Order: sequence, then structure tokens, then C-alpha cells
Amino acid sequence: MHVTPEIDAPGGPRPGIDHDFNVAYITRVEGEGSLRLRVRDGGVVEARLSIFEAPRYFEQLVIGRTPDEVIDIVSRICGICPVAYQMSAVHGFEDLFEVEVAPEIRALRRLLYCGEWIQSHALHIYLLHAPDFLGYPSAIAMAADHRPIVARGLAIKKVGNQILSTLGGRAIHPISVRVGGFSKVPTAAALAPLREALDRAVEAAQETVRMVAGFDVPEYHREPNLVSLVHPTEYPYNHGRIVSSDGVELPVDRWDDAFEEIQVEGTNALQARTHDGGVYLLGPAARLTLSPGTLHPLAADALVQTGFGDVIRTNIYWSIAARAIELLHACAEARDIIDGYQRPAEPRVAWTAKPGRAAWATEAPRGLLFHRYELDDRGRIAGAQIVPPTSQNQAAIESDLAAFAPSVLDLPHEEATLRLEQLIRSYDPCISCATHFLDLRVERPT
Amino acid sequence: MNPTRAVRLLVCGSADRGDDGAALSAVAGLLAGLPPHLLSVMEVRRCEQLDLEDLLDLPDTTACVIADAVIGLPVGQVVTIPLTELPDRDAAALPIPRSSHVLPIGQLVAIAQVMRDRPLEGSFVGIGGRSFGFGRAIGRPVRAALPAYRCAIEAALINAAATAERRTV
Repeated sequence: MHVTPEIDAPGGPRPGIDHDFNVAYITRVEGEGSLRLRVRDGGVVEARLSIFEAPRYFEQLVIGRTPDEVIDIVSRICGICPVAYQMSAVHGFEDLFEVEVAPEIRALRRLLYCGEWIQSHALHIYLLHAPDFLGYPSAIAMAADHRPIVARGLAIKKVGNQILSTLGGRAIHPISVRVGGFSKVPTAAALAPLREALDRAVEAAQETVRMVAGFDVPEYHREPNLVSLVHPTEYPYNHGRIVSSDGVELPVDRWDDAFEEIQVEGTNALQARTHDGGVYLLGPAARLTLSPGTLHPLAADALVQTGFGDVIRTNIYWSIAARAIELLHACAEARDIIDGYQRPAEPRVAWTAKPGRAAWATEAPRGLLFHRYELDDRGRIAGAQIVPPTSQNQAAIESDLAAFAPSVLDLPHEEATLRLEQLIRSYDPCISCATHFLDLRVERPT
Repeated sequence: MNPTRAVRLLVCGSADRGDDGAALSAVAGLLAGLPPHLLSVMEVRRCEQLDLEDLLDLPDTTACVIADAVIGLPVGQVVTIPLTELPDRDAAALPIPRSSHVLPIGQLVAIAQVMRDRPLEGSFVGIGGRSFGFGRAIGRPVRAALPAYRCAIEAALINAAATAERRTV
């Protein structure tokens, strides 16, 4: 069943303009999907973002597995945000097993998460999204004219990969996270090369914020319901409470008290809504809006300098600025963690599995990632639910497309497609995660 | 890593994702039988998912062979494509590697060429796969085609070494 409601276009419907607008394959997003808009009387009555990436059945794959096996399996859901999958799972298990990890282990997990945000945000800003704002069809064309810009992005991304390799054993699908800690923890000497690289990365991230602040961004305004973790003293990665801008506040393991997944026709991904059917937005814009006070001082300064605090909340196109500020945060926090690093006495603490409900949410680069597992008497997985950020954002993407599309439907198809893809890329969707994207079609009856 | 090696072999894929393990399996069975002079000029890098960095840090005189399982080909069919041809290939006609999903391989090669300001010498050697499910073994049709895949990778390595030698001279 497709549940996208009929949506009134801003300015009201325009009589006599009926068509369907289709983008068959969305480019510069992770995974495979398409977009179809149905236009009646000049108004977009349906925007459907179809995800045709094949279903991947990870929630079934983990059945019967042990918690440590699950951590390795779920990291394979995504090559860009494997740490997020590991973290939501490991915190859920540790909460159920009443495992207390040492503060040094907690700091290392934040460092690992910083690495993932750095490589993911740098990739998205420089190779996937910046070409839209600089007027290029691809990063290849942009690189030919703006080589120093692309080189800067690649240098930042490389630092993220180095952090992941140092802590996780390899840059993609790291393998060191374990219930109770890590399989192995680095020496201070092993982290030293990262410290130097992060000095340069912080400067490059500051330059990134200045660069995106100068982009020409389409006019767009809406007041979304924002959802993210909020923590009183730290920018949200692994801990906090689930908070929304419309008043929800939940423990980190109780996402399903306010939100639910639904099956939508024509897409291989589940979508998520509030229990009363409401649409909400996750990701950098939500985090920055809900947690500005816990940004690293360098990132907080950058946010003030740009003056974008409000437009980041109301104009999804400015998410590239939110992402750049978070990139700076992650680089600066990673440097601080290394400066204060004390090697843990033990890489992990002992634990005993027990039956029950293991649930937790952490902040993947694209937004809140919720995991829930049911463990049987042998401590093995009897049931699982994995709710990635892209499937939670999908309804917000469709809603934004329906609201924005009327302003571009009179443009040539190619230009309209570019504008709509640009909007979708603002969400940094990860379709492989959600199938667990565009080919644009606008349907106009003849 | 020895930066003076003339050939870099990038082996993509995961051994625990069915046919995605084809390149790893083929290379594992190939290395021991390669002639010593070829082995002495080779660097083998395992990259589960091809990253731009794997191409950007190639020394100027090094040629590159990328091996990966692909979709878009009949199962078990082997294809060798010069790296310089990858960026311009029509997306529909290009076998799609299953292991490099951050950016399509044609874009990775194109960006690397722009950033290096010179073409990438070498080739992509793909084998058509069908089953990429986590926790599966390589399927029978792909297993049966592994000897041919090894031969194609070896031929690509010999060509790459010869290309690199010509550039050095």
C-alpha cells in the first residue's frame, strides 16, 4: 500500500497542467532508485521515491547468531557507515548484559565514529553534492576545473579512512568492535600519525565550511519535525535521548514507543513514520538544530560565522553546510580524543549473555540508526529490527519533493531532474542501507 | 608496499558474499604459479571495496590491474577492459562491479585520471556473477569459470608489466 497523501503544491494547483515526471535512475547517491512525480492541475499529487536495490534480508541473517557475530554481520549492511551499525548493535547488547565499559573505551568508540563521519561527510560534500552547487554534472567534470578543491576533499576523506584502519583493522567494514570493548586497542604511538593528519584536516574542514557557505542555494522553506539523539554534554554519536522538535523525548532504547516502520508499495525499503503517521527529518540538520550547544568550539564558531543556524533547519539544500560543520566537529573532536588518549588497561571486559530485549540508537552520518534484538535463553538472536536513517528520511524526501517540484516543472526536463536530484542528494541517502534511488518520471495524462 | 613495483593488482570483493569472492579465489590460486620475474615486479593489494586512494597513490610508472566480480555479464563470462576505456563506456554496456558501490568504477578511474593528470595504464578484469548473498560460497558456474578467470588476470598482469616496462624505458 502506498500511503503518500495528496499534497497541495505551494501556490495551489495550476489548471490544465497534468503530467507524470520520471527520473529512472538517481545519480550520485549510494544505491539504486528512481523518482516518479504525478502532476495534476499543475500540482504534485504524488511523489514516489522508489528503491529498487534488491532486498538484503539482514534481519533474518542474524537469527541464531551470537552478539559478537551480529556486530560483524551488521557492519556489512553498508560500506560507508559500518561503524554506525556496529555501534547501535554493541550498545544494545551491552545495555542488556549490564556491561560497563571503561571511559577510555568509550572515547575510542567516539574516535571510531569520528572517522566514519569524516570519510562519509567528506565523500558526500566533495564528490557527490558539491558538483550540484558548482554547476557540474559530476565530480569528474568538477575535478577537471577545480582540482585543488577535490584534492582537499580527498585528503580529508583519507584521514577518516586512516582512523578507521587504525582502530578498526581496515577502512571498510572494520572488525575490532566487540561486546565489552575492542578486540585490540591501539598504542598512543599508533595514534600519533593521525594527530598530525588531523591538524591539517581541521584546517581543511574550516576551509570546507567557508567554501559551502558561498554556494548559491535554491530558495526553499519548510518547518520539518526534526529527530536526533540529544546528550547534555557531548555532540550525539553513541549516547543521549531520542528527542524531536515537536516534543518527543525517549530513552535511547525506546524508538518504537513513538515511531514505526510501514510497508510502502513500489519500494523495497520500509519507511518510518511517527505512530500518528507524521513525517520527520534526521541527519546533520536535525542534530545541529537540536544540539548546537555541544558542538566542538571550532565548529560552534563556524556555525556562528556562517549565520546559517536557522536556514539549516528550514532549507534542506543547506544540509551541505550542516554536513560541513559536522565534518569540522568530527575532525576537531578526533584530534582532542587523541590528545587525551590513555590506553585502556584491557581491550574489553568480560560479559555474560542473557535473554531479553537489546535495543539502542546511535547517530550514523545520515541520522538516527535504531537496532532492536530479541535474545533467547542461549544468548542468541531470536528476532531483529534494524531501522536505518534513509528509510526514516524517505517520507520527508517525498514530502519535500512534492512541495518543491512545482517550482521546477516548467524547466526543461534535464534541468528539472538536476534540481530534484540535488534535493534528494541533500539528504545523503544511502539506498543500500535502506533496502534494507533516480530515474525521474513525471506522469502527465494525455 | 614497494613503490617501485611496476604492477599493482587490486583484488576486490568479499570471500563471504558468494560470487563476490571470485577475484580473491582466482588470485589466491594464481599467485603461486606466476613466473618469478612477474611476481618480483608486482604489488598485490586487497581492497574489499575499490577506493579512490587505491588509484591515486599509484606511482607514475606503475600499471594497474583491477579484478572483481560483476553483474551485467552472463554468469561465468570473463571480460578484460582497458582502464582508459572505462570512464567513457556507456553505463548500460559496462559490467558493474559488485564491490565498489561508493562511486561507480568508471567514475573512480576518471577522477583518478584527472587528479593524476595522466591516464591509468592497465585493465579491469571482471567475471560475471549471480549470487552475492552474505554467508554464501561461490556458485558452481563461477567456480567452473575460475581457471579462465585466472588466465585472464595473468594475461592482464603480463600486459601491465610490459606496459610499465615500456614507460620506464
